[in-house]
Amino acid sequence: MQFESFDEAYLTRLRAGDFRTEQHFVAYFTALIRIKLRSKLSTREAMEDVRQETFTRFFVALRAGKIQQPDRLGAFVNSMCNNVLMEQYRGGRREAPLDEDEGNEIPSEAVDIIDTLAAKESKEQVRQILDQLSERDRRLLREVFLEERDKDEVCRDFGVDREYLRVLLHRAKKEFKKFYCRSFGDDPPAFATAG
Amino acid sequence: MDHEMVVRDKMTEQYLLDELSPEARSEFEEHFFQCRDCAQDVRAASLFVEQSRQVLGEAADAPTPARQRVPEKQTAGWLAWLRPAFAAPALAALLLVVGYQNLVTLPQMSKAVSNPQVLPWTSVNIGTFAEGSSITVPQGSGFLLFVRIPPDGNYASYQAELYNPAGQKEWSVSIPVVEGRDQWPVQVPAAKREAGSYSLRLRGISSTGQSTDVGHSSFELRVQ
Repeated sequence: MQFESFDEAYLTRLRAGDFRTEQHFVAYFTALIRIKLRSKLSTREAMEDVRQETFTRFFVALRAGKIQQPDRLGAFVNSMCNNVLMEQYRGGRREAPLDEDEGNEIPSEAVDIIDTLAAKESKEQVRQILDQLSERDRRLLREVFLEERDKDEVCRDFGVDREYLRVLLHRAKKEFKKFYCRSFGDDPPAFATAG
Repeated sequence: MDHEMVVRDKMTEQYLLDELSPEARSEFEEHFFQCRDCAQDVRAASLFVEQSRQVLGEAADAPTPARQRVPEKQTAGWLAWLRPAFAAPALAALLLVVGYQNLVTLPQMSKAVSNPQVLPWTSVNIGTFAEGSSITVPQGSGFLLFVRIPPDGNYASYQAELYNPAGQKEWSVSIPVVEGRDQWPVQVPAAKREAGSYSLRLRGISSTGQSTDVGHSSFELRVQ
């Protein structure tokens, strides 16, 4: 997996409309935007609206020469996403309608057979990590992540504190990250960014 | 919010467990949109949580096996092994195995037991969250695990179980409870093993025979 650096050359390629660079940019920040929006919006549709609008505004600003600092790309995207979210909460939309072209600028996300296999492999890795936990720890994670019970209540029931839960997640994540970094490197897997 | 603070305070975990205040949440998001290491950390953790839900959900939905009538054919089949057509080759194979063990395996084992050996070793601390240890052993060689057990249990004995990288249990061994002693050397038998992350799980056994998970610890095995 090729490591893409957010440098001047990257920004130049993005401005020039280089397809691979745009694809990388959208995939990289789509993963982060979706993680950010998961706790803020309740429907996939609303999340997708905000994601699309964020990228649309970004590319409009890029073409207008308003984005000059390559090392601030992330901050720019995050800030735009926050603005779009704020407007979403207020029930408003941008005043000027999109030009037809603006909506077509965002590369589409396709998931192919290789991504499907990668998703399967990733899930198997998660299964192995969970199998290595004690039954008690597995039940704890099930109550928190699957049943979505109140975490303080769950910790009380299991006789642990919030730090225990944090460390449990930390250790499992650390184990999973060995596989994740080896398989996907610096960039998010396509199956994790596609709808 | 600087990177060191993010790592030190396990901000990724706090974020995914929804423990951050709105301000801290916003600051952390601003950080991981800029910091590639933290972006990777958040993505990996988020994917782990998402797929854990699926795996745990599948485990919860899996039907408990119902009692099934054993078809009559199977009970008759059990007796089929005693027929001469099966018994003769089975007996020959058994004689071969016994002969090999008496002529080859047992003499080798006897020699191994009677000769002194210096074994590789590593410490395994149950119930702490310290970094896992690592050990390098020649292929087919045994090694020692110094198992440190948390002193606050109230058990009659312990049962230690070793799990290989595939998650399969290799063996279990009983560890006694001796007052004032919290570390035990456990000799792991020589065997052909694959390199990877092994896990030692400890169960506490009460005086009534009840078994409780005490904890586990992992170590990395490297094979020469």
